Amino acid sequence: MTNPSVVVGSAGQQANRPSDPYLVKIRDLIYQLAGIFQPDNKLYFLEDRIARRLKALNLHTLREYYDCLTLKGDREAELRNLLNEITVGETCFFRNNFQIDALRKVVLPEIVEVKGKLNFRKLRIWSAGCSTGEEPHTLSIVLMEEQMGQLKGWSFEIVATDLNERSVAKCKEGIYGDYAMRNVAPALREKYFQKQGEQFRVRDEVRASINFSRLNLLDDSKMLFMKGMDVIFCANVLIYFDLASKRRVIQHFFNNLLPSGYFFLGHSESLFSVNDQFHLVHFAGATAYSKTPRKPAGVAK
Amino acid sequence: MNTTLAEVVRSRLRQVDSIPTVPAVLRPLLDYMHLPAEQVDVQEIVKLVSYDQAITAQCLQLANSPLFARSHRIESVKGAVISIGVTRLRDVLLSCCLVNLVPGGKWAVNPVAYWEHSFGCALVSQEFARKIRFPDPEKAYLAGLLHDIGELVNAFTISDQSRAAVEMAMDQKIPLHEAEQAVLGFDHAESGALLAEHWQLPEDIIEVIRHHHNVGKARQVRSLVALVSLSDLLCRMRGLGYGYQDTAAVDFVCDPAWSVLEQEYPVITQFDLLRFTYEMDEYTEEVRKLAASVYRN
Repeated sequence: MTNPSVVVGSAGQQANRPSDPYLVKIRDLIYQLAGIFQPDNKLYFLEDRIARRLKALNLHTLREYYDCLTLKGDREAELRNLLNEITVGETCFFRNNFQIDALRKVVLPEIVEVKGKLNFRKLRIWSAGCSTGEEPHTLSIVLMEEQMGQLKGWSFEIVATDLNERSVAKCKEGIYGDYAMRNVAPALREKYFQKQGEQFRVRDEVRASINFSRLNLLDDSKMLFMKGMDVIFCANVLIYFDLASKRRVIQHFFNNLLPSGYFFLGHSESLFSVNDQFHLVHFAGATAYSKTPRKPAGVAK
Repeated sequence: MNTTLAEVVRSRLRQVDSIPTVPAVLRPLLDYMHLPAEQVDVQEIVKLVSYDQAITAQCLQLANSPLFARSHRIESVKGAVISIGVTRLRDVLLSCCLVNLVPGGKWAVNPVAYWEHSFGCALVSQEFARKIRFPDPEKAYLAGLLHDIGELVNAFTISDQSRAAVEMAMDQKIPLHEAEQAVLGFDHAESGALLAEHWQLPEDIIEVIRHHHNVGKARQVRSLVALVSLSDLLCRMRGLGYGYQDTAAVDFVCDPAWSVLEQEYPVITQFDLLRFTYEMDEYTEEVRKLAASVYRN
């Protein structure tokens, strides 16, 4: 077999190589400063992303880059650059249709019943770690469609936050290519998007109910003010966090969620052994967490 | 149970031809279910299976699927016995028999979906049994496979009424047994138990068939009943239902079946249900592929 340390191959091949101590130092630094943690088996991913920054800065070693993150005057800006590389994700509109169905068919009817009784016809939904905005825009479209049915007379607010400044800027811009649009039904494409050259721009009425902002989920003082959420979505964000950070963030989610609310993670994520306050709930093809235990299956209301 | 309809079901079950196309291999297989694996006459099974070309072909398809298969390809029924063992072959053959029991065109349930659900539930029950260290995972497989045979009974004996129940369930996206209670006054668990008795299935399998939608009523093998009940529910929540999905929020831990299991298998409190769900999702795809290939022939 070829010595892995001299192979310049895919990221996966590099995973076998003993880690450069500076890679671990950078990992620990990112965790210390930003609260995003890459476990050992994801270090190749971190290295791959750092490589992009090395190229951009015309640097050659991880040690030089570490110095760049710790000693230079613009180290905070460089850390953000790196975080942007780390958190940039591949996503699209209507990415998880099972979740959307669970929202429309089970979650919304439950919330409508509870809040309807209180005559408080307003929904507050949080897309935590909204990346480039496909998720909050999808939610806005889904809720606008529901405003012609079960949400008639209701208003909603979508709070869309992300750590990555560039993503937040992209959200606000609201312009997407074919790839992001691949799951959008033609009728919805027509109704909620404007063609802009080769691209699609989300119509203003879809954007009107969404508040985009930059937020670090580990910023306790800011997290305290995210109260009164009916539903929280946080997909592929917590996976980057270590246990202690996850627990902190999830505690905030728990506190900020209304008693009848639900918390959705991304596909194949789990809170097992992270939190024992939330109750796991199964919907058709999707799962979420609830603050209160749900009635037994098959028992009529 | 609604007396008139129930009588119809009972009397039709007594007629020899009311459940047609029972493969010849089924009866001896059902007898072997009472025997420990080492007492099964392997040559006899191989001979029985070989009489029926359709069953032989299906048996080899199943035995070669990633859900059962070993590293090398199985070319004969005899090879299957050697490769996957008598117990697994029995499971495979019973799964094939179920394919051939399913009625044709006039059933409201899609036969492929019925088989996928039964077979999926068998696999999930068996895996679930292993995870919680239930002593007889093979029994859990059988119980899972046969838990809904009441649907066959209803389709054959009271097809019109049963169709109305199935259509109501699909239309309102509610569990089948609830729709059946509303339309028929009884559900497939009760009619399934009748057939199970008629076939002289083992007592514990009959108990599962009879009580899988009402675990609290089970008096024997309560853990087995609970285990299949939860596996059935998980299948329905993960795309192996009857071609439709219930609209419900299901909290497994609050299900009465969960408490029953917890009493005998306290290890379940440490069980990672969500991870299990993700693991079982990999089965779903395999089950679908297998169903498609089995039903093409």
